[in-house]
Amino acid sequence: MPTLLEQLNDDLSRLSAQALASLVQVHNGRRGAGAGSIWHGDGLIVTNAHVVLTRHGTVSDALSVTLQDGRELPARVLATDTDHDLAALRVQADGLPTIQIGDSRRLHPGDLVLALGYPFGVAGGATSGVVIGMGAHLPELGDARREWIAADLHLRPGHSGGPMLDSEGRLVGINTLMTGPEVGAAVPSHVVVEFLKRVLGRPAGPPPSGITVL
Amino acid sequence: MSATWKELSDNIATLVQEAGPHVVRVEARRRLPATGVIYAADGLIVTSNHVVERDDELQIGLPDGSATAATLVGRDAQTDVAVLRANASGLSPAAWLSPDELRVGHIVVALGRPGQTVQATLGIVSALGNPWRTPSGGQVERYLQTDVAMYPGFSGGPLLTAGGSFAGINTSALLRGISLTVPAPTLGRVVEALLAHGRMPRGYLGIGIQPVRLSDTLQQQTGQEAGLMVMSVESGSPAADGGLLQGDILIGIGGQALHQVDDLQAQLTGERVGKPTALRLIRTGEVRDLSVTLAQAR
Repeated sequence: MPTLLEQLNDDLSRLSAQALASLVQVHNGRRGAGAGSIWHGDGLIVTNAHVVLTRHGTVSDALSVTLQDGRELPARVLATDTDHDLAALRVQADGLPTIQIGDSRRLHPGDLVLALGYPFGVAGGATSGVVIGMGAHLPELGDARREWIAADLHLRPGHSGGPMLDSEGRLVGINTLMTGPEVGAAVPSHVVVEFLKRVLGRPAGPPPSGITVL
Repeated sequence: MSATWKELSDNIATLVQEAGPHVVRVEARRRLPATGVIYAADGLIVTSNHVVERDDELQIGLPDGSATAATLVGRDAQTDVAVLRANASGLSPAAWLSPDELRVGHIVVALGRPGQTVQATLGIVSALGNPWRTPSGGQVERYLQTDVAMYPGFSGGPLLTAGGSFAGINTSALLRGISLTVPAPTLGRVVEALLAHGRMPRGYLGIGIQPVRLSDTLQQQTGQEAGLMVMSVESGSPAADGGLLQGDILIGIGGQALHQVDDLQAQLTGERVGKPTALRLIRTGEVRDLSVTLAQAR
């Protein structure tokens, strides 16, 4: 009979292995890279806008994505939203493993979360903590127009664009920034879903401000 | 599938939710509000002294979302505890736990309410030690250190144990860069003293002092480099009654060496009041011992 700690370890390793299949590394031609999650099996990938844009706000040349099977594929930017630091990419592939999407609005302070990415280039680097709070009024995340999930885990450069998973392994946020060595913030999944609906679900009509459809 | 991890997650979130009704917002400084804990149903609130930057126009954000005015009952900078009285009744006081019930490695949760809702960070008990004195001389019943992240506004908030009771209040100001908890027994003692006197009892000597470097000969003789020169002695004070003279160099009190002003400050505690206390000093180049009886500071 395994101890409780051993059961927790088994659970955590299963959760991260399961989510790892849909984790990609995003290369932008500069030093350093970010992470992303495969949203649809037909090659739709979600990451942060700051992972794919240059400092001047233009799309990085030579964007590519490395899948878990080792394939490196060229990636095309479908849309970015700098207000919410989100980007949708497309790679030419089919039948890719997808991440399960959770509802960030059902999180509570104290819920365990697990973040994956490529911290300092380390493949699949995981960090775990609890949700500190959610919403648009968190200290150090001042802009009240933006919603966040703050968690007490150790996000590092390279985690950006990677998934933040709830205790059942569902994506509830996109790792986006750290406000200190022990606090990370993610864009909530319901914001990502709205972004994808806006930019991909309505081909006609001008996009709302802040969004560039490319 | 991942039943245990999810169960643990739900468990922590439930703990946080159930502790929320005992945790309040403390608005007593210009920047971000901080956190406090309901100590008694009649509106008594404990928080960290360093987040109470003003003495009036204090506001408490109650768990039900309402806000109410509060007054300052008293503060103890040495243990970083302040006690407020909110203009409220029928509040839900916290259940406290002695740190003796904790062990290093236990999972704990820090709570904060700098805004409307309760926030949480997770960690473990990193160190649990003996009674200690804070750098400014405050007496604390147990040394309790955790690795919880002190998110902005978390000072004054509780350290929540796995059983749902509160082990003390967290402060990031007593030791820089370390998450420390002022344990429940210390809170109890400070609250009692502040309710009775409005401040912590302090010992009073009645001297003006200045740190001085000792001569090489005296350094060899005493084993310390510096002492405190008595620049003035108030007439009728415990120091005058005990025979201290202007020009004496204090080098020890109650067996503790004195190098700088803070060292003496830390030793003039409430417990010494009314009791004979041994002083070691240098007078005319010789080490001498005197006994003085500290009075209560006014």
